[in-house]
This record gives sequence, structure tokens and C-alpha cells, in this order.
Amino acid sequence: MTRYLSIFLTFARACLVRDMTFRANFVLECVTSLGWMAMNLAFYLLVFTFTPEIGLGTGWTKEPFFAFVATGMIINSIVQALFMPSAEELTEMVRTGGLDGILVQPLDAQFLLSMHRVDFSAFANGLVGVGLLCWAIPRLPQPPHPVAILLYPLLIACGVAILYSLVIMLAAATIHLGRNQSLYDFWFYLTNFSRYPAEIYSGPWGGPLRALCTFVIPILLVVNVPARVIAQPLTEQGGMMVAGTVFAAGAALVISRWVFQAALSKYRSASS
Amino acid sequence: MHNSSQPRTDAPNAAGEPVIEVRGLAKEYRVFDKPEGLMASVTGLFNRKSRVVEALRGVDLRVEKGEFVAMLGPNGAGKTTFLKLLSGIITPTRGSATVLGSVPWERTDDFRRRFALVMGQRNQLWWDLPAAESFRLHKEIYRIDTPRFERTRDELVDLLDVRKLLLRPVRDLSLGERMKLELVAALLHEPEVLFLDEPTIGLDVVAQHALHRFLAHVQAERQMTVILTTHYMKDVAALCKRLVVVTEGSILYDGSLEQIVDRFTSHKIVTLDLDAPPDRAAIDRLGFPCEIRGPQVILRIDRTRIADVLPGILRGQGVRDVSVEDVPLEEIVAEMFRSGSTAGTDGATGAPR
Repeated sequence: MTRYLSIFLTFARACLVRDMTFRANFVLECVTSLGWMAMNLAFYLLVFTFTPEIGLGTGWTKEPFFAFVATGMIINSIVQALFMPSAEELTEMVRTGGLDGILVQPLDAQFLLSMHRVDFSAFANGLVGVGLLCWAIPRLPQPPHPVAILLYPLLIACGVAILYSLVIMLAAATIHLGRNQSLYDFWFYLTNFSRYPAEIYSGPWGGPLRALCTFVIPILLVVNVPARVIAQPLTEQGGMMVAGTVFAAGAALVISRWVFQAALSKYRSASS
Repeated sequence: MHNSSQPRTDAPNAAGEPVIEVRGLAKEYRVFDKPEGLMASVTGLFNRKSRVVEALRGVDLRVEKGEFVAMLGPNGAGKTTFLKLLSGIITPTRGSATVLGSVPWERTDDFRRRFALVMGQRNQLWWDLPAAESFRLHKEIYRIDTPRFERTRDELVDLLDVRKLLLRPVRDLSLGERMKLELVAALLHEPEVLFLDEPTIGLDVVAQHALHRFLAHVQAERQMTVILTTHYMKDVAALCKRLVVVTEGSILYDGSLEQIVDRFTSHKIVTLDLDAPPDRAAIDRLGFPCEIRGPQVILRIDRTRIADVLPGILRGQGVRDVSVEDVPLEEIVAEMFRSGSTAGTDGATGAPR
């Protein structure tokens, strides 16, 4: 484990050196990303000029909702920084045969393929998320319970694990298909569901969608559960959601590992 | 050189076992034919036609410790597929193989620490970073302790005279410079087996020569087992004693360089430099296939008759100079590729086929 951490830090260091080589590009990526976040926040502020709450009786008033948004920003920035660059590169590696060089190295291929690139500019959103959370927490209707504060980092990790598993399964599809340039698009569509409180998915269409995105592809657990724990009072139902999220994260990691290994065993390599 | 931090498992070699043993190794791919034209493309979405391509057809090979084996073959012969199988990148359709006692496609870390693969057409160094950064990464991945890493790196860098390139981004280097640094990276963990896939492709003569000298030196010093795939006879002649010729997924010849000449040619090339351009009829009367280039005559004479006929030729034609040579290796191998004929192997190193 220490060795893998050490190797990851070496990768991260190399990526930072590279990012600093192209400083203008790095700054531009940070600015673009922050700009997009600023527009989202402005949109949510606009919404709250029309309504005091997202869904009557849901508890998602302005400050709790911004804690929700901050949680989403933190989780997404971790995934975007640590895993997405490698997953996106995998498509090209499979197509050109670059994956060959990874498979001959004495390390876990999934680790190498999913963590060899770090996009430091994506951490900018995470930092904004932390700032937003620090602004929202003192303004919540009820301060978070100490247990909630302890659970929050665990649930953030679970959210990251669920998203990571999805990335890995999409990457495995790349190995099967040989080319999967819609990987990022598909990722965007999927994670879009996780960006809003689960309560908005109700009614004849919303109910089944909510069930699908909770029990089949547990994308709704990613942000909703940690955000609910930190921003709303702890309840018995909330406790079950916490247990379900931990279970879903574990199951997602195991399933994605199996899918990825199966895909690697079918790898054909590109012609030289 | 020896890894002080990682105990090496030399057991498979110590008992006289081969470093590489391959039996009946076959690899088949299903490929989809893409029809031409818009309508055919649309139809192909629903009804794709596929066929099976045999990249390797039951190859047998045994390589002992310290051998430097060249694998020669035309494009698509199966050379790279063979190396990919031995490296564990892909899994075979049939057959078995062990490298250093391990089954390659099981991809155990212990096995992967003991070999290296260099592909001439693929870049494994970080493109935007100096090679020194890739070497540092390599050190971590292969768990090379610092003193050993620095000693090996310095030795290899000095041998290839690339110290001044270490801090330049790889993208700014020439192809030859990049390949030298790729080789340094591949050898940093002191592999026992080295697979080289067309390492000299696209290199100029000077860079090729530098790589030849380097590889010959390192292989001899470390007693590494090396399999080299190439299109260039110069690589083979400079580095290898054993040659494996592959076409269409099968081994046509496995034996020494010297024996391929004996086995596949019945004649030698006799070149005569004459005082003046000869009379064509007089040359034809000698009864050997010939080519006349001004005052130079090139004859193809049966090997068994050279000693008998050469004195007569030298007496009668106003010869200023003469040379007797084997048929160039390129010519022999090209003929083998064309004919695709199977012709057995060197009994000392391979099984007859």
C-alpha cells in the first residue's frame, strides 16, 4: 500500500512538473473550470430568488442546498483530478496500442491505468467547494451533529468510490470496443443525475428514475447521502442510506474490478 | 550486476532449463471486414462479415540463457504478436509458453520485474517530461534502490553518451535520441530477458550503429537473453548468432546465421574486375549465370565447383581483382519470404519442422 502511495505521489509529481511546463494552459483550465462553477452558483442563487426551498418540505433551503452543491463540487473535483484524465487517455491508449507498455509493468494494471495522470487544475473546483461548505455550515438551520461530521469524509470517499467504479467500467468498455470517444459524454450524462437532490425525482417518471439511479446505478447516493448527513438532521432513514451507500461503494468497487480484469484478459492490442 | 533489494529467482536457469520455452503457440484474431461505400457501410452495421486471421500458427521455440536471437520476417509475419505473447500483453488461442519459468499472460509482478520490452514504434517515456523524470518513475515502479539505480543509470547513460539529453523534454528529442533513452529506461531494472521489437526502425546509420554497439556490449556483459525482431539484416549480422525466420505465423528457419547460407544457397557470388569490358559470348561460354557491369562481371557459381573452375577463369579473362562471397543474407531471406518454403532448422537449436 505504501509502495502504491509512493508511486502515485511520483505520478502526481510528474504531472505537476508537466502542468508547470505549460503554465498558461494550466491557468486557463483553472479559470475555465472556475468560470463554469461561478455560472452554476449564480444560476442557483437566481433560483432562490423565486423560491425559498427546492421542493416544499424537503429541507433543501438556500444554505443546505449550497452545502449540497459544495459536496458535489468536492466529490467531482476529486474524480476529475485523479481518475478522469487517465480514463480519457485510455481510449487513445487502446486504439494506438499504448496500453501494451502499461501491461508489462510490475504493478496492478487498474491502478496504473486509472491513476497515472493527475489534473491539478480540477482541484480548483474542490477548493471552491470547500470554501462554499465553510460558508454554508455556520448558516444551516441546525448545526451538523458530531457523528455527521465524522461520517461526512467517509461518505465523500464512498461517493468517490462509486464514481470511480463507473469510470473504470466505462474504461473497460473502451478495451472491448477498441474505441470509445463518447466516454466523457456518457460520464457527463450519468453524473448529471447526481447533481440535484433526490427529492426532485418524483411522480410517474421521476420515481422509477430515482429507483434506477439509487439501486441499479447508485449515482444518486454519491452526493445526496453525504450532503444530507452534513446539511440536514440525522434520521433513521438517513442511517439506512448511509449503510446503503457504504455497501454500494464496496459492491461497486468489487464489480468494477471484476469487469476491468475481464476486459483486460480480452485485450487484443493494436497492430504495430 | 545484481539487484541487491530483490532476490532473483534463478532456479529455472540453474537447472539447465531454457529461459524461454514455447510449444505450439498460436494466436487467432477475429477481424471484421469493412465494406466499401455508404450503402455497404450501413448494411454492415447490422450484418458484419468477419473472418479469423491466424497471426501465429503453432510456433515452437526454445531459447537458452544468454542467447541473442533475431526474429526476421516480412510485415504481418507474426513477429510482434510473438513478442506480445511472451510479454504477457495478449493471451494465446492455443499452446503454451514459459519465460523465466513463468507463464507470461498470468502477468505476475515477479515475472514482469525480470524482463523488459522495447517497441521501436511506441514511445514509453513521458512525452512532455525530461527522460530523467520517467527514469525516476521507473525506479519506483521496479523498486530499484537508490544506489543501484544511480549506478545503472550512469553506466547506461555514459555508454550511450546521452547525459546531456536527460533534462530535455522527450518531445524535443530526435527519434534516435529517444530510442537511446527508451533503452536506458528499459534496462534500468537490469532485466534478465529483453524483447526488442524493431528498435532500429527509422534510425539513421549512425544511430543504428550506436545502438548495435550498445546492445552487443550490454548483452555480453549481463548475459541477458534477448529476442530482437527486425527487418534489417544489419541488425541481425551485428548482434545475433541465431536467426529465426518467420512468415505467415510459422517458423521457416531456426538456426545459425552461417547455416542459413549453407542451407538455402547452392552457389557463391564471384566478382571479377577485368581490364576492359568483356566479350559477352566469352563470358556466356563459362556456363554460369552472370551479370556484366562494364569491366565487372558477377558470376553465380556452384559452391562445390568453385575450386575447380576458378583457376581457369582467372587465367583466361585479364582479371585484375577477384572476390568470392556468399549470397547476401538479404537475398536469401527475401527469397525465403517469397517462396515461403519450409526447410528445417539447425538441429542444435530447434526442432525440425
